[in-house]
Amino acid sequence: MHTRTPDITPVIVACCRTAIGRAHAERGVFRHVRGDDLAVAVVRGVVERAGVDPGTVEDVVLGATQQRGELGGNVARAVAIMAGLPFTTAGTTVNRLCGSSLQALAQACHAIAARAADVQVVGGVEHMHHLPMESAIDMHPRVFARSSRGMLSMGLTAEHLAATHGISRRAQEDFALESHARAARADDAGLFEDEIVRVLGHDEAGCIVEACADQGIRRDTSGESMAALEPVFLPKVGTITAATSAPLSDGAAALLVMSEAEATRQGLEPLARVVATSVVGVPPSAMGTGPVAATRKLLADVRSLGITLADIDLVELSEAFAAQAIHCIEALGLDPARVNVRGGGLAIGHPLGASGARLTTTLVHALRDEPSARLGLATMCIGLGQGIAVLVERT
Amino acid sequence: MPATVRDDATLAVERHVDGLVVLSFRVPGHRQNVLTERVVTDLAAALDEIDGRGRGWTPRGVVIRSGRDGSFFAGADISRIDRLWDRTDAEIEALCDAGRALFGRLSARPWPSVAIIDGACLGGGLELALGCDLRVATTDARTLLGLPEVKLGLLPGWGGTVRLPRLVGPGPAIEMAVAGESITGRMAERIGLVDALVPAEHALEAARRLIDRCGSNGDVQARRRRLAEPVVIDPLERDFLESSASAVILGRTAGHYPAPPAILATMLCGCEAPAVEAGRIESSAFASLVRTPVARQLVRVFRIGERNRHDSGVGGDGAMGEAVGGAAERGSRPLPDDATGGARSPAVVGAGIMGAGIAASHLRAGCAVTLVDVDERVLGASIAGVLDEAAWDRTTKRTDADAALALAGRLRSSSRLAALAGADFVVESVVERPDVKHRVLAEIESIVGPAAVITTNTSTNPIARLADAFVDASRFCGLHFFNPVRRMTLVEVVRGPATSDATVARAVAHAKRLGKCPVVVRDSPGFLVNRVLMPYLHEAVEMVREGVDCRRIDRVARQFGMPMGPIELYDMIGLDTAFYAGLVLGAAFGDRIEPSPVIPALVKSGRLGRKSGAGFYAYASGGQRARITAPDEAAAAIVMRYRVDAPAAPPSEATIADRLLLPMLLESLRVLDEGIVRDPRDVDLAVIHALGFPAFRGGLLAWADTLGAAEVVRRLEPLAALGPRMLPTDRLLALARAGGAFTA
Repeated sequence: MHTRTPDITPVIVACCRTAIGRAHAERGVFRHVRGDDLAVAVVRGVVERAGVDPGTVEDVVLGATQQRGELGGNVARAVAIMAGLPFTTAGTTVNRLCGSSLQALAQACHAIAARAADVQVVGGVEHMHHLPMESAIDMHPRVFARSSRGMLSMGLTAEHLAATHGISRRAQEDFALESHARAARADDAGLFEDEIVRVLGHDEAGCIVEACADQGIRRDTSGESMAALEPVFLPKVGTITAATSAPLSDGAAALLVMSEAEATRQGLEPLARVVATSVVGVPPSAMGTGPVAATRKLLADVRSLGITLADIDLVELSEAFAAQAIHCIEALGLDPARVNVRGGGLAIGHPLGASGARLTTTLVHALRDEPSARLGLATMCIGLGQGIAVLVERT
Repeated sequence: MPATVRDDATLAVERHVDGLVVLSFRVPGHRQNVLTERVVTDLAAALDEIDGRGRGWTPRGVVIRSGRDGSFFAGADISRIDRLWDRTDAEIEALCDAGRALFGRLSARPWPSVAIIDGACLGGGLELALGCDLRVATTDARTLLGLPEVKLGLLPGWGGTVRLPRLVGPGPAIEMAVAGESITGRMAERIGLVDALVPAEHALEAARRLIDRCGSNGDVQARRRRLAEPVVIDPLERDFLESSASAVILGRTAGHYPAPPAILATMLCGCEAPAVEAGRIESSAFASLVRTPVARQLVRVFRIGERNRHDSGVGGDGAMGEAVGGAAERGSRPLPDDATGGARSPAVVGAGIMGAGIAASHLRAGCAVTLVDVDERVLGASIAGVLDEAAWDRTTKRTDADAALALAGRLRSSSRLAALAGADFVVESVVERPDVKHRVLAEIESIVGPAAVITTNTSTNPIARLADAFVDASRFCGLHFFNPVRRMTLVEVVRGPATSDATVARAVAHAKRLGKCPVVVRDSPGFLVNRVLMPYLHEAVEMVREGVDCRRIDRVARQFGMPMGPIELYDMIGLDTAFYAGLVLGAAFGDRIEPSPVIPALVKSGRLGRKSGAGFYAYASGGQRARITAPDEAAAAIVMRYRVDAPAAPPSEATIADRLLLPMLLESLRVLDEGIVRDPRDVDLAVIHALGFPAFRGGLLAWADTLGAAEVVRRLEPLAALGPRMLPTDRLLALARAGGAFTA
């Protein structure tokens, strides 16, 4: 996709996200807030932050993995209407499971490169409390003819990854501790302030509260408390616990993309350029390896630009499970110091359909804050065996 | 017009004018078709005839179906299994090979074959259907497909492990054969096990259309070639399947059952080989499983269950003789409830936890039921719970609201005993106080008609004493359900001195109608189950008093195969409940089971077990599913007040196991001596169903038989110092001297 003429080079002009809430019936900050309302907040947020002419927004592309109930019936169109965009702005909802909002970003960029569309809002939303993962899905059992039912349990696939690659429970817990420590440091330093749109939620007592920080970040956790937890997916013999799995989350994130030429025309300052994207399939039971395959495919694609892994300054990698993240870092030979510098999904949370946009939002902000950094990669693992990657370059 | 070409004992052959040959099975002497030797020879002969019909004549297709409405084949003839135990591996393998080869003939000729599956299609029956090129299942609710061999410690030996994974994929095939659960026709269609799903009246036409479709496009030959090949599966998926399935199997069986891992390995190996080679792998795996002790015990347990299903509960020794040979005899006689008519308007009195559970089990079994409780508040609170439980959908793990609504119409409730006027079968389940029960039972008798049976759900009240409440005590017996009623299948039918045969037979029939497994016992303290359980629990506490770690005792019990250890079980039952039950048994059998002072002391300190958040163990939170957090030091301090002298060295695991299990065995021998049960097999059935005694050990007496009486006596010798509870009974000593089985 990489191209250098401004009229077909996609750029990110603005990005924002909600704080990520716990999907919890009593404690979740967004337990009384509809998922589509979270999406409206971030769509409005990017349009306002960018200062874009709303009349030029052609499409709203949102990812969501559970497209029913409050997120059903093509929620992107409903969100566009509620966000006050003109009726001429179209809307579509996409689903690549955990990669949904990264997919939304990628396909919007493809549309720009193909001259099929220009200004678009992309993003994603998930409300795992209101719309739990397992319910109301009737997967055809013949899917398991070439795999097995076990692969539906992401935790089991991660256990398998840990077992076959010798990733110890201790290593997973150390990784999770680091994720929390980094997220807590970033939060304390106010590094998330610019990217978070403050939405009203409810505190544990039931009073309204402005949700300005991610609910999952723990400052009180320790190696000892993690070591005391029972394995979740393989009782007794497993290595993965609640502490080394991403929590269930509620949240939304959005980005405004357009061609570089259009940004210039509207007098807008882009934050980053989208250089390349990739998607790839892997065996369903090896879903955790998706980022490895997707990143390798993307690197092959940008070799002609002279870009290698060594040139990538910051990586945002999905942390569905510590074991999966550790494996991806090792398999790709990434420098852990450059990966998820502001913490990852284990701490911040993993609102499935919103996570890709959340990762990219955090990545763009981290690139902005680090003058020496130029290239950033967002990559994710996806259930049923897929990977997705997007390479961005600071403008 | 179909022309009947041949009509033997098990099989009718019709040749239709359009060239279709239809083989209809109807195995005489059985209510459901089973694969007897005769079926095998008849099928072979019919195929010979089709083959030999000769020169130029080829059927358009062959249809295999049952001549019985709603029953395809319920499985192989289990009564033949014993004969395999004396054969060599090579002989057993040859038998498997022969069966597989016979079924293989159904997809080896130019003509396509279709099985019409209407009704139960299990085990060898499914393997027969798998032998065909195509399968049509009916939408009939009785249509169920499965490979239950694993429940007998076996694996499908006639091509099931070869053909099933080739049709539906290794993962779903392993799931089905390892769990042994049946699936509906609809699910079979979804996973690709059957090619069409239609109402029974369209099944033959559907078979004809499938044949035409395949005949015209050459599909059948391509399918056959594909099924002969190894199964293509991604190596990563294969490894994941193997490790995740192994983990699930280990979690479910704790390694005690050899069949599930053997099925997994056989199917995975078979998938990597051509079908012919996979067949040899299957035969060899079958031969090694069939003679394992576990398989033998499971076959025996299956037969005990079958015997129980046919036992009317009265007369003789309760057995129907050794001729009862499992599935082969299944349905060969009418079920007793057919004979006794069954209750038309059952009622439950008392809407507490047990009463509600009993009422719900009526609704689940499709019986309308009247629930009476004089306390309006208790009754009101109970009704929603009854409906919730009755409408519980096990697969979705939630209450089916539509079903609850429908069932509401079948639940009649009243706060007045007068509502029992039309009842013909009453289960009284009020509080366990003799005075209250006495009063309520007398009142019930004054209301119901003269033909009504009246039963009491009690674990501690002697039936003889409650019988005093009656004018006609012949209509009265105990009907002891276990908690939770929905899960516990055992019911003790307690026969008082005045109880009539007819009453017992009706109580037994009614319990069966509720899907329960009734065992008739004589009136005596603790009846059967609690009496046999108490020495086990008691001994565990004695060991704790000697300073043995609770967790160690529980671990030994689990390793033996019990679903939980005795100390965990105490906490689950509730220490207060266990205390009262212990009083009754202590009063009766105090010479050997003295109530332990530890239990009342724990109760007094507010430690009632799981329900109060602490018992012997401390729990993360209250409730029955709370997690054990730690053995509790506060509990240990209470126990220590009652510390007893311990042997210098802590007991070995073998000694702990002997101390837990041998007193149970001794008590069950006394139960036999006193004629509490009508047949030793009832003891094994009861401990398996009510106590979770490991089925792979065959039950308490069958397990003891694996030791032998002499060995039991030898193991008891070093324990003699513990007191009379460890002394061999006369029966045991006699068996040890003369030889012979506990189960005989």
